[in-house]
Amino acid sequence: MTHEQIHGRLSEWLDGELDPAASAAASRHIDDCPACKGEAARLRRLARALFTAPAPADPRSTEAFVARVMARVEADAVSPWERFAARVLAPSFGLALAGLLLTIALPPADEDDVLGVEFSVDSVFGEAP
Amino acid sequence: MNDEAFAALVREHAPRVRALCAATLGDAEEAEDAAQVTFLKAHRALDRFTGGASIATWLHRIAVNECLDRLRAAGRRRSDSLDALLEADSSALGAVLAEASPAQALEDRDTVDRLLARLNPEQRLALTLREADGLSYEEIAQAMSCSLDSVKARIKRARAELLEMTRHFSGSDNV
Repeated sequence: MTHEQIHGRLSEWLDGELDPAASAAASRHIDDCPACKGEAARLRRLARALFTAPAPADPRSTEAFVARVMARVEADAVSPWERFAARVLAPSFGLALAGLLLTIALPPADEDDVLGVEFSVDSVFGEAP
Repeated sequence: MNDEAFAALVREHAPRVRALCAATLGDAEEAEDAAQVTFLKAHRALDRFTGGASIATWLHRIAVNECLDRLRAAGRRRSDSLDALLEADSSALGAVLAEASPAQALEDRDTVDRLLARLNPEQRLALTLREADGLSYEEIAQAMSCSLDSVKARIKRARAELLEMTRHFSGSDNV
């Protein structure tokens, strides 16, 4: 491999992702090439600067996390029918109830003419002879 | 799976999922929420888990997707404060990369988070899975559902961009 090829694959070399033959060739070149050696060192420092090993998990913290997850799972565990009822039926029922209450609360314009049609024995059966 | 069994599953896999979310997202509150949502999504999809992969791999993939979604959303609402602090952040990184100083971690994690936030989400995630989670390129490709070549390119590009930031602000090739 040429210098350019190896320089272009420093990232893979650093991560141990080159095949053994290519890795050995790259290692030999990097040992003798100040530019590649410097770049490889900077890449190692970069990893060290930005990424730290995660701290071991605290068992108490894990238990608190489990409790929070289970609370969300429980809140989430409603059946599709319950979800439908909550989202669609409940508002519909509320509207219907509101309509009914309005009907009861507001008196009709003519209390003797609730349906707007006059009914009498005569109107239904005709006038008596 | 009953609640007790699922709680045991959460207990077993929480450390790794939380560590991944924390390393990927930076912000502690967001990372914690992402980890919880990972298990919530897993719970919803339990009946679709075929057992083709290990449960750890399956959970890891859900967490990776959750983090990627959040990184993309964060990228869309990226604030000007990132740009305002670029010079200071790049200088801080340049200082710890300087050959004269011993290799060390950047102490201010907010600086780290802002520097990583400058990468595109796929690059940041691939690099984090490599550096913080220690995954091989093959494992990263599986976790991110992409090709091996994409993983190579993303990691290489992420590192190059981070080094470039320090070069630009130090005005030197020796950082």
